[in-house]
Amino acid sequence: MSLLQVEELHVWFDLARGRELHAVQGVSFALDRGERLGLVGESGSGKTTAILALMGLLPPTASVAGRVLLDGEDVLVRGERTVAPHRWKDVAMVFQGAMNAFNPVKRIGAQLVEPMEQHGVAEGSRAEARAAELLERVGISRTRLRNYPHEFSGGMRQRAAIAMALACEPKLVLADEPTTALDVMVQAQILELLVSLTKDFGLALILVTHDLPVVAQTCTAAAVMYAGEIVETGPTDVLYHEPRHPYTRLLFAATPDLESRDVVVSIPGTPPRLDEAAAGCPFRPRCDSAVARCSLERPLLQRVGDRHEAACHMAAQVPA
Amino acid sequence: MTDLPLAESGALDRPPLWRRTLSHPVLSTPQSVLGLAILLFFVLVALIGPLFIHHDVQAKVGPVFAPPSSRFWLGTDGGGSDMLELLVVGARVSLLVGFLSSAVSSLIGGTVGLLSGFFGGKVDIVLMRITDYVLVLPDVPLMIVAAALFGRSLTNIIVIIGVIYWTSTARVIRAQVKSVRERVYVQRARSLGAGNTRLIFRHVLPQVMPLLIANTVIFIAYAIFAETFIAFLGLGDPSTVSWGKLIENSFNDDAILNNAWWAIIPPGVCVAIVVLACAMTGQAMEDALNPRLRSGHLSVRRFRLRAVPPRELS
Amino acid sequence: MRGADYVVKRIFFAVGTVLVAITLNFVLFRMLSGDAVSALRCRQCTPAFKAYERKTLGLDQSKLQQYWLYIDNLAHGDLGRSLRTQEPVWQTIWLPLKNTMPMVALGTIFSIVLGVITGVIAAWRRGTWTDKTSVWASLVWYSMPPQWLGLIIVLYLASAIGLPTSGIHDATLGILGTPSTWQVFVDRMKHMVLPAATLGLVLYGNFTLVVRSAMLETLGEDYVLTARAKGLTSWATVWKHGLRNAMLPVITLVALSLGFIIGGTITIEYVFSYPGIGLETVEAIDQRDYPILQGIFLLLTFSVILFNLLADLLYFKLDPRVTE
Repeated sequence: MSLLQVEELHVWFDLARGRELHAVQGVSFALDRGERLGLVGESGSGKTTAILALMGLLPPTASVAGRVLLDGEDVLVRGERTVAPHRWKDVAMVFQGAMNAFNPVKRIGAQLVEPMEQHGVAEGSRAEARAAELLERVGISRTRLRNYPHEFSGGMRQRAAIAMALACEPKLVLADEPTTALDVMVQAQILELLVSLTKDFGLALILVTHDLPVVAQTCTAAAVMYAGEIVETGPTDVLYHEPRHPYTRLLFAATPDLESRDVVVSIPGTPPRLDEAAAGCPFRPRCDSAVARCSLERPLLQRVGDRHEAACHMAAQVPA
Repeated sequence: MTDLPLAESGALDRPPLWRRTLSHPVLSTPQSVLGLAILLFFVLVALIGPLFIHHDVQAKVGPVFAPPSSRFWLGTDGGGSDMLELLVVGARVSLLVGFLSSAVSSLIGGTVGLLSGFFGGKVDIVLMRITDYVLVLPDVPLMIVAAALFGRSLTNIIVIIGVIYWTSTARVIRAQVKSVRERVYVQRARSLGAGNTRLIFRHVLPQVMPLLIANTVIFIAYAIFAETFIAFLGLGDPSTVSWGKLIENSFNDDAILNNAWWAIIPPGVCVAIVVLACAMTGQAMEDALNPRLRSGHLSVRRFRLRAVPPRELS
Repeated sequence: MRGADYVVKRIFFAVGTVLVAITLNFVLFRMLSGDAVSALRCRQCTPAFKAYERKTLGLDQSKLQQYWLYIDNLAHGDLGRSLRTQEPVWQTIWLPLKNTMPMVALGTIFSIVLGVITGVIAAWRRGTWTDKTSVWASLVWYSMPPQWLGLIIVLYLASAIGLPTSGIHDATLGILGTPSTWQVFVDRMKHMVLPAATLGLVLYGNFTLVVRSAMLETLGEDYVLTARAKGLTSWATVWKHGLRNAMLPVITLVALSLGFIIGGTITIEYVFSYPGIGLETVEAIDQRDYPILQGIFLLLTFSVILFNLLADLLYFKLDPRVTE
C-alpha cells in the first residue's frame, strides 16, 4: 500500500456570475516512502492548488472531488473534519515564499514549538530541545531560536521553514517552490538539504516547481502538469531522456543548457482558459505533433513504458 | 514608429482628470453612492432651502416648545421659532463650516505634504518637524481655547478648525507623493528635462488628487463635529444658526424638562446623517484607492465536496 | 536594551513639545487675549480691583518679562490664581481632575474593549451579516455628536434604568449618618456610568473599523495560512497570531483620538453636570477666568504629550520590527 494515493482529484473555484474555474482536472498519482516526486508545470497549471488540496487548505470558494488516501485512509471524505487531524502530523508543507510564512512578531523558536504542543508531540523544555535539534539539522545555530524572523536571511528563513515542517515527524512533506527568490548558491544548499532530510527521516517528498533542473537534481520521479491535469509521469531520467508527451519534450527543449548547442525553443501560445470546458486535448493549440484526433478526443494517461505514463494520442510514436 | 520623446508622443498622457474621477470605482459600491446622494441632498437643502424663508429664522413665530403640527412640521424650539426652518438654515452654516474648514485644512496639509514629499531633504525635515510638534498638541482643546479667544465670527471658526486639522493630511499626502515621485514615468519625464513645476502639476498632483479628495471628505465629518463642540460651548457665532447651536439651544432652554424631543433629536440626527454620509463616502474612496485584494485564509465557511465528474472524452 | 536610543529620542521629543506647549500657552493667553483682567465678569470686579489685579499679575510689565515670570512660576508649580475666587489654580482644578479621570478611563476602556471585540468578530466573519451589521452600527454610533447622545440618554434612558443624570454624588447620602466607603463607592459609580457609557459609545466605532481592518490584513498574511496548515483551529489562529498583530494600530489610534476624547468629555460633563475638568472648563470659559483656562489647557496638553509618549514606547515594545 502506498503512503499517498491520489485518485481523480478535482478542484473548482467559484468565479463571478456563477462560473467556475476548473483548476485541477482529475489528477491521480501515488507515492511511497522515500520517494521524491517533482510536480512540474508553468504558472497556472494547478500544481500548487493540487498540493494545497492534499491538506485541505483551500478557501471557501473552492469545491473538491476525488480521493486522497493517506496510508489507505481517505482524508477528504468529510472535508475539513477528516483532513484537519492529519495536518502537520502526517503531511506538512513548506510554503512558497517562506519569507512570509513566519509571524513577524513571534520568535522563531516559539513558532517551531507551536505545532509540537498543538499535536501533543512534545511540550515545554522538551519541545524547545527538539526545536533546537531541528534547527541544527538544517544548519542553523541553536542560539538563533530566540531570534525574530526579520533577523534571518532569506535562505535561513527557508531552512527554518523546513525545520518547522519536520516538527511533528510527518510522513509526507510538500514543498511549494522552495527555492524561488533565492540565489543560486543558496538554492543548491536547500535542495541538498531536502534530499538528505528525506533520506534520513524516511519521508516522502513532493516538490512543486516550474524549474526543470531542480527536478533533475532532487527528484526520483516527476509528474508534468498542464492545464490542471497530469500529462506525463515517470522516473526523472526517463522523462528527461525519453519524453513522450510533446509538452514535456518542449519543456526540456525550452530549458537553456550551457553545454548544449541546441537552439533554445520557446513554446508558442498560452495555456487554455480553465473556466470553459474544451473539447479534445488541452495542449492541441500549441502542439507541434497534433493530428485530427487531438481536437476531438481527450487523451487519457496510458502506459508507455516501465512506470512511465503519458496522456497523448501520439505517445506510442517516438518523436523525432 | 514615432521619434518624439515619450512625454510628447502621448504615451504618458492619460484621460483627463474629470473623466477618471467620474469613472472611479468609488461610485460602484452602494455605500458610496448612498453617501454621495445624502450629501448632495443636504447641500441642495442648504442652498435652496433658505431661499424660501424670508424672515429672521430666530424670531418668535409661535408658542414656545409647541409639538409638531401641520403648521410647524417639527414643532417650535425654546424661543418659539420654527424647528424645520431652523434646521434648513442651520444646514447652510454647518455644511459651510464643514466644507470650507476641510478645504482649508486640505489646502494647508496638501501643500505641506506635497512640498515635503517632493523636495525631500532639508525642506522635508523642517516641515515634518513642525508637523510633528503640531500633531502632538491636542486638537479639540486647542480649538476650544482658540475659539474662546478669537471665536465669535464664522470666518474665524472656519480658519481655526482648518488650521488645527491639517497635520494628518500632510503626513498622508507626503507618503503618497514620495511613492509617486519614484515611479517610472515621473523619472522619465524628469530625465527629459521637465522642470519641477511641470512635474508637480502634470504628473504628481493628478496621482495624489484622489487621495486628497478622499481625505477631505472624511475631514468634513470632523469639521462638522468640531463646529458642534464649539457651538455647544457657546463659542459660536451668535448671529448665525447652526446645527451645533440648535443642540446647545435645546440644552440651555431646558428642552428636556419640557419633553420637547422635536427640539433635541432632529439637529443631532442631521449631524449624524451627514457625518455618516461623509464617513461612508470617504471610506469607500479610500478603499477604492487601496484595494484589499487578498482574501483571508481564515473563514467560517469551508471548501465544499463534490462527486467526481465522469470522464468526458469528446 | 534594544533601542535605548529610540527611547531617549522620544523622551527628548516629548520634552521639546512640552516646551512648545508652554510657550504656545503663554502666547495664546497673555499676548493675544489682550488684557484678560478687563474682560473679567464678576461681582467684585470694580475698576479699582482690576487695577490691583493687573499690578499683582504683573501685567504692566513687558511681554518678555512676563514670559520669564511665567516660566519661573511654572517651575515652582505655581499656575497662577483664579480670577474669580483668588484661589490657586492648581487647587481649583485638582478635585475636578480627580473626578474626571476615572470616568474617562472607564469610558475609554469600555470603547476599546467593545471596539476590539466587534472588530475581531467582524473580520472573522467577513462578508456575513454579522460583519456588515457591526460595521454599520459602529459607523452610526461614531457619527453621533457626544453631547447630543448624552441629551438623548438623559431624556430617555436614565430614568428608565434608574441612574442619576447629574452631579457626582447623591446629596441625600449623608443624611442618615456617615455613609460607608462601599456606599460612597457605589454612589460614585452610579453617577459615573452614564457619562462614561456615552463617551464609550461615541468612541468605539473608530476602534471597530481599525481593528477589523488590521485583522483582515493580518488574516490574509501567509503566516496565517501556515498556522492553519500546522493544525491550529480558527479560534486559536485568531487568538495567537491575528490578535497581537491587529492590536498594534489600536495603540496608535488611542493616541490620535485623545483630542476627540477630551472634546467629548467636556461636552458630556456639561450635559451631565458632572463636576469634572470638562465642566470646569466650560465655567471658566463662561466667566472668562483665563488663569484657570490656561492651567487646564496646560494640564491637558501635558497629559496628551505624556500619553503619546507612552503609546510610542508601548508600540515600540510590542512590535519587534520597529527599529527607527
